[in-house]
Amino acid sequence: MAVELKQTITGDRQLVRAALNGEASAFGTIVERYWNMVVALALSKVSDAAEAEDIAQESFLKAYSQLARLRDPSRLAGWLSKIAMQQCSNSLRRAFRVKMALGCRATPVEVLNERVAITANPGLTQNQIHFVRQTVRRLPEKFRTMIVMRFVANLSTVQIAEQLGKRPGTVRVRLHRAYKLLRKELAPLLEEVES
Amino acid sequence: MTCEKYKNLIEKYIEGIISDGQLAELKTHTQMCDSCRDQFERCVLLQDVVKHAFSSRTSAEQAGASILDKLSSEKNRLLAPARYNKALLGREAAVAAGIILAVGLYLGFALGRAGTGKPSSAPPKSQVPISIGDLEGTVLVRHKDSDVWQTLQAGSNIYLGDTFHSTARSACVLKLDDKSKLELNQNSMLVLNSYNGQTQFFLEHGECTASLESHHGPFFIDTPNGRMEALGTEFTVTVTDE
Repeated sequence: MAVELKQTITGDRQLVRAALNGEASAFGTIVERYWNMVVALALSKVSDAAEAEDIAQESFLKAYSQLARLRDPSRLAGWLSKIAMQQCSNSLRRAFRVKMALGCRATPVEVLNERVAITANPGLTQNQIHFVRQTVRRLPEKFRTMIVMRFVANLSTVQIAEQLGKRPGTVRVRLHRAYKLLRKELAPLLEEVES
Repeated sequence: MTCEKYKNLIEKYIEGIISDGQLAELKTHTQMCDSCRDQFERCVLLQDVVKHAFSSRTSAEQAGASILDKLSSEKNRLLAPARYNKALLGREAAVAAGIILAVGLYLGFALGRAGTGKPSSAPPKSQVPISIGDLEGTVLVRHKDSDVWQTLQAGSNIYLGDTFHSTARSACVLKLDDKSKLELNQNSMLVLNSYNGQTQFFLEHGECTASLESHHGPFFIDTPNGRMEALGTEFTVTVTDE
């Protein structure tokens, strides 16, 4: 695991250096590596999948323009996650202002159907996906980030701690708390999926 | 007892720090133990469900290509050294603005005091027999019913109701008597309260360490989460958000 961590960090450092030297393909590799994580972080804050992808795209464009400001390239994932969360807040604030300006009330509840969702997993229906996302969204933000970085980006607690500049013990405790909450909340769904 | 070991391995799996050998060992065990199998399968399923619910509709490769296309069409997003200089200039401007603001605040404060000719806050009422020992960095103190923070100094008098705020890389020692002291560590806030005529310490956040004489009476430190009582002669209390 330590070797894997070292390789990712070395890879990130090299990619950042290459992108700063004008190699566009290096930045393309960075996007490919962290696209799913950034989209998932956005989805943990906004409900619309298309909006989440827009936020992810804006986050990467912002990251590209500010890449020279990244002090420690080995913490690229943590830096990207912060940009993504900032972009989400901006997007939510914009949406709120538009809503207030138009005098709109709450957004109508999405019409969901039992069709199988067009995602990587053919086993989950739209309703189930909606339920899982809502459950994760209800978690405190510090827990949500742990869940996304661990389960979507597949980073270990040690790597997450390194990326976010936190103690591994703190990350471990938060992850287990978040996991316990999710396991409890998603128990009916897990049983449904298992059967 | 045996399952305890595998429960630890399941925890390691959740944390993503399980080795290949340990994973193989866990899988072998789950073939024989129903309880561990259920727990492990539930754990794997939960991870899959979350991963799939949060997966993107656009593949990472497509996204990478699309962003590169967008970047090549926007010439102003070039990663030239000028961008770096611009970032530095921005930082310098922020530092300069900070210095101007600090000078402005200082002058405003000084002129305000000079203009009125009297202290900006009501005089504190009861002094307590606590003195300042070691002082490192900048520790601020605010008297009761005052909005003004003052810099704590070695000879400052301490009053009931005082609030101490230690900034980053600063600390101070409050000498309670000849043998007892209370050290306020960095980024902490401590309030001296009075209860039944006795001084009480309320640690709002941060960390403080008490070193008491060997036969001390009851000694408490209150925190937002509860009251700590000193049973020995040295103890540290930390209040964090977690």
